[in-house]
Amino acid sequence: MFHRESGVFKTTYAADMALYPLPIAKWTMIALAVIFVLIVPMMVHEYYLSILNLIFIAIVGALGLNILVGYTGQISIGHGAFMSVGAYTAANLAVKLGLPFWLTLPAGGLMAALIGVVVGMPSLRIKGLYLAIATLAGQLIIEWTINRVPAISGGAQASIEVDRPSLFGFAFNTQGRLYFFLLFFAVIAIVATLNLVRSRIGRAFVAVRDQDIAAEIIGINIYRYKLLAFAISSFYAGVCGVLYTYYFGIANYEQFQLIVSIDYLAMIIIGGLGSVLGSILGATFVTLLPIVIRIFMENVGGLFFTAAEMANVISGLRLGVFGGLIIFFLIVEPEGLNRLWRNIRSYFRVWPFSY
Amino acid sequence: MTRFVRSVLGVAATTATLALGAGQAFAQKEVVFGLQCDRTGPTANVGTVLCPGYQDYIALVNSKGGVEGYKIKVLEIDNEYKVPPAIEAHERFKKEGAVLEGLYGTPQTAALNKKLEEDKILGTSPGFGTSPAADGKRFPYTFPIAASYWSQGGAAVAFAKEKLGTLKGKKIAYLFYDNPAGKEPLPILEDLAKAEGFELRTFAVPAPGLEMGAQILDITGRYKPDFIITHLFGRAPSVSIKELKGKGFPLSKVVAFVWGSSEADIIAAGGMGTAEGYNTIQFAGVGKDFPVIKDIEAMYKAQGKQPPKEMDSTVLYNRGVLVAALHVEALRNAIKAKNGAMPTSEEVKKGMEAVKGFTLGGLVPPMAITPTDHEGGGWVEVWTVKGGKLERTKAWFQGNRPVIEKHLAADASKS
Amino acid sequence: MGEDLEFFFALMLSGASIGLMYSLIALGFVLVYKATDAINFAQGEFVMLAGMVVVTVLGAEAPLIAGVVVVLLVMVGFGFGLERVVLRPLLGRPVVAVIMATIGVAAVLRGWGPLVLGIETRALPLPIGDEPINIGPATLPPIQVLGAVVAVLFFLVFSWFFKKSRMGVAMRAVADNQQVAQAMGINVERYFALAWAMAGIVSALGGIVWGAMLGVDVQLALVGLKVFPVVILGGLDSIGGALIGGLIIGIVESLAAGYLDPYVGGGTKDFAPYVLMILVLMIRPYGIFGRRQIERV
Repeated sequence: MFHRESGVFKTTYAADMALYPLPIAKWTMIALAVIFVLIVPMMVHEYYLSILNLIFIAIVGALGLNILVGYTGQISIGHGAFMSVGAYTAANLAVKLGLPFWLTLPAGGLMAALIGVVVGMPSLRIKGLYLAIATLAGQLIIEWTINRVPAISGGAQASIEVDRPSLFGFAFNTQGRLYFFLLFFAVIAIVATLNLVRSRIGRAFVAVRDQDIAAEIIGINIYRYKLLAFAISSFYAGVCGVLYTYYFGIANYEQFQLIVSIDYLAMIIIGGLGSVLGSILGATFVTLLPIVIRIFMENVGGLFFTAAEMANVISGLRLGVFGGLIIFFLIVEPEGLNRLWRNIRSYFRVWPFSY
Repeated sequence: MTRFVRSVLGVAATTATLALGAGQAFAQKEVVFGLQCDRTGPTANVGTVLCPGYQDYIALVNSKGGVEGYKIKVLEIDNEYKVPPAIEAHERFKKEGAVLEGLYGTPQTAALNKKLEEDKILGTSPGFGTSPAADGKRFPYTFPIAASYWSQGGAAVAFAKEKLGTLKGKKIAYLFYDNPAGKEPLPILEDLAKAEGFELRTFAVPAPGLEMGAQILDITGRYKPDFIITHLFGRAPSVSIKELKGKGFPLSKVVAFVWGSSEADIIAAGGMGTAEGYNTIQFAGVGKDFPVIKDIEAMYKAQGKQPPKEMDSTVLYNRGVLVAALHVEALRNAIKAKNGAMPTSEEVKKGMEAVKGFTLGGLVPPMAITPTDHEGGGWVEVWTVKGGKLERTKAWFQGNRPVIEKHLAADASKS
Repeated sequence: MGEDLEFFFALMLSGASIGLMYSLIALGFVLVYKATDAINFAQGEFVMLAGMVVVTVLGAEAPLIAGVVVVLLVMVGFGFGLERVVLRPLLGRPVVAVIMATIGVAAVLRGWGPLVLGIETRALPLPIGDEPINIGPATLPPIQVLGAVVAVLFFLVFSWFFKKSRMGVAMRAVADNQQVAQAMGINVERYFALAWAMAGIVSALGGIVWGAMLGVDVQLALVGLKVFPVVILGGLDSIGGALIGGLIIGIVESLAAGYLDPYVGGGTKDFAPYVLMILVLMIRPYGIFGRRQIERV
C-alpha cells in the first residue's frame, strides 16, 4: 500500500494476483492492524471513535454497492432498501427468537441477498437507465411493504428495538467497544471483497461489465453472474443494515430511504468505481465531509457571517460542496480518489528521479 | 517503514492530545447545550424557522446575564434528517460536555433513545418521536416535553366534540400521512370512536403528499364526514387545505395536527384569506403577543438590527422558543438545586423533571414534567384562522387524557 | 348507481388533470433524453429553482409578467450553462456518470438555491382565483386546469416544432444518429445545448404552475420523483408519450386511491404507478410510444 517497488518483476499469474505483491505489503498490513486495533482505540477520544464507527459501517455498504456498480456495471438505486431488509430480518430474529448477532447478521445478509436477486431480475432484460429506474421502484416498493406489514415492521411505529450485541456475556455497549465490533466486520468485508474480485467470479463480473457479449461468447453465463452480483451486493447491504441496527439499537425503515441509496452511490463515485480502496476512501470521505466543513466553518466562518446566518450557510455549503464534488470527480477524475492515490504513488515510485 | 510508523504514531498522539485538550478547554462559567436541526433535508421548512427561535431565546437569556450566572453556549448541528449525522452530532455534544440536547426528527430520535440512556444525557423531542416516550420510566432520558401524537389525537377528538355538540352517530375522517408518525394516533382515535360512538374512516396520503385529489374526492364526495382530522407533513397540509376548499368542504370542520398548522402551510395554500376557519392544534403559543417575544424584538433593536423575518412565522418560531425556554428552565432548576454549582447532565435531567408552573406568559402550557410523565401532560391549544390571522379558539387543555394514559400504561406493560 | 358513476367520473377527471401536470414535468425530461440521451435526475430541482426565481421577482413588487419573463430567461441561461459546464465534458461516458452528475446538480441546487433565493415557504399567487371550475358533475381547482392547458399547449408546440421547424428536424437528426447528423453539417453540440435550454423553458412553466399549487420552498423539488413512472410508461423519448404517460399515471393513481385504498388501508397511490412501471419495463421496456431500440440484454 505505502511501499515503493523499483520495478515489475512478476513472472507468474499467481504473483500478479497475490494479495500481498511484496513482503513489505504484508508488513504494512500488520502495521495498520496494530494501529487500528491497539493504538487508535487507546489514544483517540470517543467522539472520533464514533465517527470511525460510522465509517466502518459505510465501508461495508459501499463495498457491496461497488461490487454491483463498479465491478459488474449494473446500476442500483435500491441499496438503502436492501439495508432495511437486512435490518428488519435481524431485528425480528433477535427480538422474537432471541438469536445472538452472529446468527442474525448472516441471516439479515442472506434475506437481503434473496430480495436483491428478485429486484435484480429486471437486469436480465434491461440495463442502464431502465435498470436504474427499476431498482428505484424496488426501493419504493420495499419501503411500502415494510410500512404496511406489521409482521415485518413490528407495529405502527415500524421500528424494532434490539439490545446491544454481546459475545459470551460481553456487551458491546459503548463507542469504544462497538469500535471493535464494527472494525471486525469492516475488515472481514474488505478482505472478502479483495478475495472476491481476484477470484473467478470477480473476473467474470468485470467481463460482464466491460463487454457482455464477449463475456457470453467466452462462456460466462451472464444471467447467472448478474444475479450473483445483485445477490452479493445485497448481502453486503443487508449486513450493513444489520450493523446499523445494532449500532443504533433500533431497526427503522425511515433510516434507509432513497437518500441513503444516493449517498452510497456518491461514495463509490467519489472513491472510485471498481476499486476496493476506492470504496474505503469514498465511504470515509462522504462521512467526513460534512463534519470537516462544519468544523472549518465554526472556526473560520465567523469572519464572514453572523452567527444567525451561519447555521444556514453551513448547511447550504455542505450540500453544495457535496454536489459540486460529485460533478468535479465525474468530470475531472472519473476514477475517483482511488486514482488520485495511485497518481501520488506512481509519482513517488520514481521519486526523486522522475525522468 | 519505521519512519512511517513513527510519523503515524506522532500524528495519532497529537490528535489525541488535541482532543483531550479541547475537552477541558471550555470556560468555567459556561454551559453547553446541543441542538440538532434540519436545515437542508425534507423538513427544512420547519428547521429553518424553529432553530432560529431556539437560538434567539438563548441569546436573550445570555444578554440578560445568563442562567444564575452561567452563560449558555449552543452548539447547533444540522443532521439533514439523516440518522448517521445525528449520531455524530450526539457524540460531538457529548465530547463538548453538553448537559442536554435538542433532538430533531423521528427516526433520529428512535436511533438515539438508547444512546441517550447509555450516556445519561437528556434529549428533547417536541412534537416528534414516539408517543410511548412520554413514559419516563421506559425512556428515562427522552423528553417529548410537548403533546405527543397520541395527545394530539385525543385533543382533536375533544375539539370535534365541542364543535359538533355530540359525537354520537357522527362521521369523522382521519386524513393522514402514510408513515409511522401518521399512523401513530390510530389506536387512540379508534378507542375514542368506540367510546364516543362516532364512525371513523382513515384516508392515507403517501409521501411526499403533493397531490391528494382522489382522497379528498373520496372524503367529500362519498364519505361526507361531519369532521375531518388531518395529520400531514411537508407541503401536504397546504395541498389538503387547497383541495378541501376546492371541493367546498367547510374548513371550520377541519382540525390539523401540529405539523400542518404553521403560517407557512396556510400561506402556501393561498393565504390566510383562503383558509378562513381552518383549525390548528398547537403545542406552543402563537403570535407575537408574549412578553418573551417582545423581549427578543427589543434585544434586536438594542443591537441596532431589525428582528429577523423568521419571527413572522410565529407558530414554528415560538416552538423553538418553547424548547429553548424549557431547556433553560431545566438548567436553572439544576443549578438552584446545587446552590449555584455547575450541574452534571444527570442533574439537569432531574431539573427537567422538576419543571412546573412555568408558562412564559402563556407561550408555554401549564405543564408539569415529572419523573414518570416526560410529556408534561400533553397540553395543546387550538388556534383558528379568523379574519386573516390565527386566533386562539380553545386555550390550553388536555383532550381525553384518561385514554392516553390507558395506552401509555398498556404500552409500558408490553415491554 | 348515479352517485357511483359521478364519483368515478370525478376521480377520472381529477386524475387526468393531475396527470397532465405530471406530464409538464416529464416533458422537460423527455426533451433532454430525446436529444442528448442524458438522464436528468435534477428535473424536480429545475422546477424548484424556477419557482424560487418567480417568487423572488414577485417579492420585489414586480408584476407577474416580469416574473415570467425573468424566469424564462434565467432557466434558458441555466440550461445552456449546465450543458456547457457539466454535461458536455461527460459526453460518451457511461450512463451512471450522467445520472450521478445530475444528482450532483440536484444537491447543488438544493444547497445554494434556498441560500441565495430565500429559504422560507412563499406563496405564488396567480390571477386565476380559487373558485372551483365545474366540469359536468365534477369540479376542478383552476390551477389544475391551467396546468393541464399548459401541458397540452406545450405538447402541441413541441409536436409542431419537431415535425415542421428546421431546428426541430435537425434535433431529431441529432437524436437519431449523431455522427450522420454531424456529417450533414449539423452542429450537434449546439443542439444539445438547445435541448437543455428547452428543458429549462418547460421547467420554468412547471415551476410557476406547481409553485402556485404547492407554494414554493425546497420541497417543490419532490415533484421530480413523479417523472419516472410517467416517462417509462410513455417512452423515454416520446413527447406524446410523456403526455399520455402522465394521463395514465394520474388516472391510475386516482383510481387506486379511490377504489383500492379502502380495502388495503390506504397508501396504494404511490405504489400503483411503480408496479405499473415495473410491468411495463418487463413487457415493453421502450414504453408505449418509445423507439424500439432499447439496449436489451
